[in-house]
Amino acid sequence: MSRPLFAAVIASVVAGAMLSAGAARIAAQGPPPPPKNPPPPGWIDPRNPPKEDPNWQPPRTADGQPNIQGQWNQASDIITYSIEDPEADRAEHIAISGQRAMVGRPIIDPIDGKIPYQPWAAKYREFLYEQHRKPSKPQFLDPVSRGFQEGVPRISYQGTFQIKQFPGTVLLTYDYHHSYRVIPLDGRPHAGKDIKLWMGDSRGHWEGNTLVVDVANLNDQTWFTIIGDFHSNALHVTERWTPTTADHIVYVATVEDRNVYTQPWKLRVDYRRQPVDEQWESAVWEGNRTADVVLGDSKK
Amino acid sequence: MPYRRPASATALSILFLFAASISVARAQTPTNTLPRTPDGKPDLSGIWQVMNTAAWDIQDHNAQKGVPAGLGVVVGNEIPYRPEALAKKRENYANRATADPESKCYLPGVPRIMYMPYPFQIFQAADMITVLFEYVHATRAIYTNGTQHPPGHIDWWMGDSRGRWEGDTLVVDNVHFNNETWFDRAGNFHSEQLHLVERFTPLDRDHITYEVTVEDPKVFTAPWRMSMVLYRHREPNFQILEYECFGFDNEFHAPVPSN
Repeated sequence: MSRPLFAAVIASVVAGAMLSAGAARIAAQGPPPPPKNPPPPGWIDPRNPPKEDPNWQPPRTADGQPNIQGQWNQASDIITYSIEDPEADRAEHIAISGQRAMVGRPIIDPIDGKIPYQPWAAKYREFLYEQHRKPSKPQFLDPVSRGFQEGVPRISYQGTFQIKQFPGTVLLTYDYHHSYRVIPLDGRPHAGKDIKLWMGDSRGHWEGNTLVVDVANLNDQTWFTIIGDFHSNALHVTERWTPTTADHIVYVATVEDRNVYTQPWKLRVDYRRQPVDEQWESAVWEGNRTADVVLGDSKK
Repeated sequence: MPYRRPASATALSILFLFAASISVARAQTPTNTLPRTPDGKPDLSGIWQVMNTAAWDIQDHNAQKGVPAGLGVVVGNEIPYRPEALAKKRENYANRATADPESKCYLPGVPRIMYMPYPFQIFQAADMITVLFEYVHATRAIYTNGTQHPPGHIDWWMGDSRGRWEGDTLVVDNVHFNNETWFDRAGNFHSEQLHLVERFTPLDRDHITYEVTVEDPKVFTAPWRMSMVLYRHREPNFQILEYECFGFDNEFHAPVPSN
């Protein structure tokens, strides 16, 4: 094949792929439909959240921060299996396991609740989805299933966590896998750009009652879901943590990655306060055989 | 006839040394200038790390390739192993390249994690002290709210820690360990009957004397002690990073394709 012809064929294939992927995305415009399965009691719908008193003021810590300390868990019914359409994506899983269908669709921007992948990235995501039940290589198995940390924002919808506040620092400690995040509030710069971290490098400040956290230095090894929603190491996340009552925090993460998405997208999680428990050991890696079992011979 | 120092001179020099050591100790222990929390306890908050070679061997050891020589951190240097346990320790040492739980990237247990060559950060509240480690993002929760250990036995990698203040010393009682962690890379080990009492005593605002009493009747004939110093990281903007030990294996590396 001559070089110009080869280029033309490639161009038409790429254009076709872009057209079909683009068409699929455009067809999904408009908000997602209401859940088919019954949500749990107390579920907070991110598209129809409860009205809150705009004049409510949180108590303060000794050093003057809005006090959001305590133990929290999401009331959004999000499962890390899928954040776009867990009822459909888990249908087979639910049928086999008998587990409850979780209904959370946390993506509030774009309005269709889908991650705005660039066309090439939509195809790779499709490939990872097809791989997820029986991956042909270890790297196509969910990184958390391989024992790695969740990254941000996935850790934000994993499960129960505690917020502790100290002068100049907010500390997040998670029940799962003894993960933690230290969020300095002192205005220090991020670690140098060559530092890459599973949980990223967080820097926070208060804007009124909202804790704004800039998360940089994230590596490209974490996924947002078990089914392959991925990003590159250009990922940048901005979190806004806003207490709206004594027992409710609204969390919105803006996710940017110019290499993978067509636009920034936003994910919302609503947290409810829980009684504070002791956080007992959650050893995840030690003796973990998930990769061996799921991958079987393909691990070789 | 060998020269003998007159007894009175010896006594005098001992007295002098004693007095000197008191004045040095006073100079190095300005306890009135220690940072303190609102409840008046010494504030141990900060990022700390040892400056010793206990991670390789808690006892006296000569250098080997890749292993710095070091004075041991075991008080008196000898560990009172039961005879069969000493044989096991020697076997561990011989097989350490693969038998050491560190080689599997497991949570390293206490006290080992306190003297590995990675920093850790202490956050101190009145009711609990949270310790965050760079190594495999391990954590310790040291409850100082008067609660007791939960009933057990519970097999935990990092044990259960309950602390109390004795003057300016934080005393931490630890039980509920499994029998799978070691004390160092030299094969020193324990059973699930391990019981530790740690004592954190600030020397000044940037140094803490860290002592551990080790009891394990299944492995040792008597309690024994370790003692070392924790040093505060003073570098501007110093922070804990990550050592995700099991993330370095190539088989797990998943390059993301680019556009």
